[in-house]
Amino acid sequence: MGVSHASSTKSHSETEDDRPLRARIRENPGPALRWMAGMFLLFIAEAGALFQTIGRLLVAIAENLPGTPGIETATWLAWKAQTVPTLLSRETIPNQGHWNGSEWVGTFAGLEPAQAWGLRVALIYLYSCLFVLALWYGYLTYRSAYRTMDWTPRDDQLRRLRHNNWGMFGLTVVILFLIMAAFAPAMSPTTIDQNIQEPYSYEISYWNDDLGQVSTILVGDANFQSVSKGNPDQNVGIMQSDDFGRFHPFGTMNNGKDLFTIIAFGSRISLFIGVTAISLAGTIATLLALTTAYFKGLADLTVVLVSDSIQSVPSLMLLIAAGYLFSDTWVATLYDGAVLLALLFALIYWPGMWRAIRGPSFQVAQEEWVDAARSYGQRPLRLMRTHMLPYIMGYLLVYASMSFAGVIISTAGLSFIGFGINAPTPSWGRAINAGQPFVAQASWHISLIPGILITILCVGFNALGDGIRDAIDPESESHHGEGGAAGGGA
Amino acid sequence: MSRHQYLARRILLSFPVLIIAGTIAFAMVYLGPIDPVVAILGQQYTPEAAAQIRENLGMNKPLWGQYINFMTSMFTLDLGQSWVINPGQSAKNVIWSYTPRTIWLGFWAVLVPLFIGIPMGFYAGLNSNSWNDYLTSFGGIVWRAMPNFWLAVILMTILSKSDALFGFDWAAWLVPTDIVTPPDLAFLASPADALFEPASFWWTPGDDGSFVGALKQILPAALVLGSASMGNEMRIGRTAVLETINSNYIETARAKGLTRRVIVWKHVFRNAMIPLVPIITSEAYLLLGGSVLVELVFAINGIGYLFLQSIISGDLPLAGTLIFLFSVLLIVINITQDFLYTVIDPRVGYQED
Repeated sequence: MGVSHASSTKSHSETEDDRPLRARIRENPGPALRWMAGMFLLFIAEAGALFQTIGRLLVAIAENLPGTPGIETATWLAWKAQTVPTLLSRETIPNQGHWNGSEWVGTFAGLEPAQAWGLRVALIYLYSCLFVLALWYGYLTYRSAYRTMDWTPRDDQLRRLRHNNWGMFGLTVVILFLIMAAFAPAMSPTTIDQNIQEPYSYEISYWNDDLGQVSTILVGDANFQSVSKGNPDQNVGIMQSDDFGRFHPFGTMNNGKDLFTIIAFGSRISLFIGVTAISLAGTIATLLALTTAYFKGLADLTVVLVSDSIQSVPSLMLLIAAGYLFSDTWVATLYDGAVLLALLFALIYWPGMWRAIRGPSFQVAQEEWVDAARSYGQRPLRLMRTHMLPYIMGYLLVYASMSFAGVIISTAGLSFIGFGINAPTPSWGRAINAGQPFVAQASWHISLIPGILITILCVGFNALGDGIRDAIDPESESHHGEGGAAGGGA
Repeated sequence: MSRHQYLARRILLSFPVLIIAGTIAFAMVYLGPIDPVVAILGQQYTPEAAAQIRENLGMNKPLWGQYINFMTSMFTLDLGQSWVINPGQSAKNVIWSYTPRTIWLGFWAVLVPLFIGIPMGFYAGLNSNSWNDYLTSFGGIVWRAMPNFWLAVILMTILSKSDALFGFDWAAWLVPTDIVTPPDLAFLASPADALFEPASFWWTPGDDGSFVGALKQILPAALVLGSASMGNEMRIGRTAVLETINSNYIETARAKGLTRRVIVWKHVFRNAMIPLVPIITSEAYLLLGGSVLVELVFAINGIGYLFLQSIISGDLPLAGTLIFLFSVLLIVINITQDFLYTVIDPRVGYQED
């Protein structure tokens, strides 16, 4: 019933107000300007971080392209971006300092490293909450001031999602994860360079108790003396500081590296793989679903065959085999194997997504308005986009959310056995593997924390998927996506 | 379309799927970026040895000849030979020698969740919206979201330290066994003992193991491998009971004065089982895929472990064979599931367009 309404409002809007959004804003610029001013303030606070990320991305792209075109410009841009100030950065609120016998030197306002770090993380989450609220406010502004329709079925769906506690819990977990991934450099207590890449190129100062003075030590040596190896006197656990005044929110690894930094940057790579794979698979699935639903017959049969064949190969085995086969090719060097993994996941997940939206696509293809549009002479491509796509989008989101959980579990499982993401890029699965011998000892945090985080995250993605499904289709209690959630048994 | 036609169409369609799956396996071994001969020889690479293997693998033939060779050997279940894992042995023998432990694992991984997940789901459905229901449902959701390999690591460690942690020694309990070990299934070789020498078959762990011992050895791994299925079965069992309990014929049964016990056992449970049957078969997909990681953590040398070893040691032909075999298994399971569907729910096939 919701969809039939959409078609009527569609014709409605064409007669009443068919001007583009820009014209409508020009007519009544107040609300839009107010919103943009707020967004601008939020942007200014984090402009430096944004520019630096873009700079690093450009350098990475230039480095990986054959012949490294434009590497100088990219490097210069990245270097220039360092000078743009950022509110929520380790430079503004530093947490790395040392005790000089009477006070903390180098940390923010002379706070203890733990407190300085806590303050920074709290501010990051506060900022991100403001940002999310601003986005939501922007949508509401659009709805009340610029949208021509008073009501669309989307409004009801959003309302149902907002009143669904379970779905909102999932959304919250997912947003917290996104924030962690986005702010990984600012959130981690130490830098990735110091922690993982080149611990022997950095020197830190610390209070030497034996000598009663401030001494210096290489980060690599300091790491070596703060390892977590199981027995209580060789362990830096959760929320503890090591002997060099460095605070470790999640403790240290068995090689003395900071676990939180590894988790934060590991979440980035998981997010990259998940987003790339799911959006690729989703695009393929949508294109195929629309085409097969529109043309039926042979097109449908072909896709059924191909998708059945792909699904008949156990996904984990396919991943392991492909990971081995492509280990020496240039694809595997991109982002330490993450690009290859993302492509493989896209290949493995599109059949499931296509299956999930095939039914709804067939349903919508039989509706009268599709027939009407066809007899009106509308071209297939445009017809699919305007009259069929909006209807199946929700179903796609449900399955996408649940598949995301599967991708994250499978990625961790693969790096657990040494396939997938290569060192030095951090990954959650490798951390679990490293902590395996110490699970029942003092250093249990190495294995347990990444696993617990994966579990929470997957529960979150499943809950979000449930929430969206209840929102778009309150009557249904279908079992789409149950398999996708478990990551092919990883 | 009648349901028989529907089933016939499904079976017919599975043949091209089989061929494509075989082609995927072929492409992996012979068309991938890694030369199988180089992978097989590894450090011991010499041109002479390479030429020898190339000859044996039939790689001197043109590509379509290799393809036809590969496909015939797959479809006649000849399967070729193992090169690195057990040099010179036929792949069939190698796979057979690893299979029993995986079947033993898979059997219990299906059975254990059945006896835990379904009762819990039914219980939650009968007491819906109580605290126990919330607790069970939430537990099921979390249990399902936990990565298998992680759960395996945690469970394994807890069990091996159970004496120090809880004062209960799992390793010594009932029958002394190791924790990280393949199950000893030699006792199955003489099934007659089950009747004539029950002590040695069921209980006493001699040289050939015993039923209880092998069950105890496989139980943690089966529990982990079945964890996702358990969550699913619980959830669907709960929904099924809720749907049945609110249906009209239950109302009628209540109205004519049947006791709650009769209603629950005779009417609710039997009907709630229907949606669960196909779910159980579809879990096989997860079991097959997941066996690789779980077998690795618990050191069970089954098929999943064999696959991983064949990849790591470069035995590509064996790996390709295994992938094809697993695909065949999955296709067979899918058809079985469709068959069960048509038996249980006569509406299937009519809804398809």
